[in-house]
Amino acid sequence: MLSLKNISKHFQNKLVVDDVSFDVQLGEIIVLLGKSGVGKSTILRILTGLESNESGSITFNDLPLPAQSVGMVFQEFNLFPHLTVEENITLPLQKVAGKTEVEAQEIARTLLATYELTAQAHAYPHKLSGGQKQRVAFARTLAMQPKILCCDEPTSALDPMLTSTVAQEINKLAQQGLIIILATHDTELIKQMACTIYLMKHGKIIEATTSEQLMKNPEKYPFIKNFTQGGTSDTTNN
Amino acid sequence: MINFDLLLKYYPLLLAGVVTSLQIAFMSCTIGTIIGTGLGIVLAGKNKVAKLFAQAYVSIIRGTPMLIQIMGTYFILRSFGIPIPALWSAIISIGLNSAAYLSQTILTGITSVGKGQFEAAKALGFSSAQTIRYIVFPQAIRSILPNLESEIVTLIKDSSLASIIGVYELTQQGQIIISQTYDTPSVYFAIGLIYLTLTTTVTILMSLLNKKINYHA
Repeated sequence: MLSLKNISKHFQNKLVVDDVSFDVQLGEIIVLLGKSGVGKSTILRILTGLESNESGSITFNDLPLPAQSVGMVFQEFNLFPHLTVEENITLPLQKVAGKTEVEAQEIARTLLATYELTAQAHAYPHKLSGGQKQRVAFARTLAMQPKILCCDEPTSALDPMLTSTVAQEINKLAQQGLIIILATHDTELIKQMACTIYLMKHGKIIEATTSEQLMKNPEKYPFIKNFTQGGTSDTTNN
Repeated sequence: MINFDLLLKYYPLLLAGVVTSLQIAFMSCTIGTIIGTGLGIVLAGKNKVAKLFAQAYVSIIRGTPMLIQIMGTYFILRSFGIPIPALWSAIISIGLNSAAYLSQTILTGITSVGKGQFEAAKALGFSSAQTIRYIVFPQAIRSILPNLESEIVTLIKDSSLASIIGVYELTQQGQIIISQTYDTPSVYFAIGLIYLTLTTTVTILMSLLNKKINYHA
């Protein structure tokens, strides 16, 4: 189990994450929902080690979070433009995970086949569509076999058709036992997943539920209901 | 009038000068690239003390004439009892000078690589050194190469300053030929033409390399 306890973070005297705590079980999908700037991405960045938390603790099965246990799919994908699709996957495998060239290529080819990217294996990222880039980003991250997968606004660069593909993929990964934590304001995405939803505002979690409970009794979660119906957490919180 | 017969007669001296000039240019460029890369990485990094030293080095080198640096290196080393050959003294001083300028080129190259690339590398588990080696430099080289080309061209021309400490590079060999023939126009015409040929060749070669590297951009 992944456990975040009392996590806080300031940026230039502004409190962006305010005493956030939650637990995640293996195979669970967590959605951090909220407008831009409410601290969703910062939580993912703290988990990935790109930012440090000022207070609180992060543990995995009651132990400190092991190195390389968290993978991140970035909003802008951040593929390496000087490397081909296959090299984007094999380079970290060889240089970080210590795989041989042959082992790395084997892993890359399997993942590329899974993500229907075999034909693009030797293409450079600038030749790919948004959806293809995202699949490469997923493949590159998953090749490193993380236990926790963080996705920052995974559908922001995709058309609605591809949103359901992403939702299916995330569901599938969760079924394989991966912990998935998404930061999003895309309410269409959360409708297609069995997930736990945390609505954030001013760095705090202001409401929590599961997608199942939300569907059964939306009135019980006014802030989330309002947000998913196109309003903002601001209007309901006044 | 240009006396071509005279130039043909003295071509071995000119050729020896060309070899020495190229030696100075490429050796000092190598020193400059190695030290300049280190300085550039330090300047792009977060260690404030190291950054301060790097900035001070760059300021001192950029704020003093290269001629003074060449003579200073040669005579200071000699005053400490280090009998360094004039050629190596020139290579070291020009290389150290080049490092200051190249550090700015490297710094610009590193900062031209998006923050997202550093973050992706870190998230995947690359160390800082691996990030520089495998992710940043292959991308930064695109903006570094054009400036590196200018630096090599400058170094070929600046190698003539080594004559001040008695290095027999191209310009110095020209002076020797002039002292023997008194045909200043012919010799300077030939030297100028040789420098132009060398710098144009470097420009063409670097452009080809630049095109090759930018092929996938």
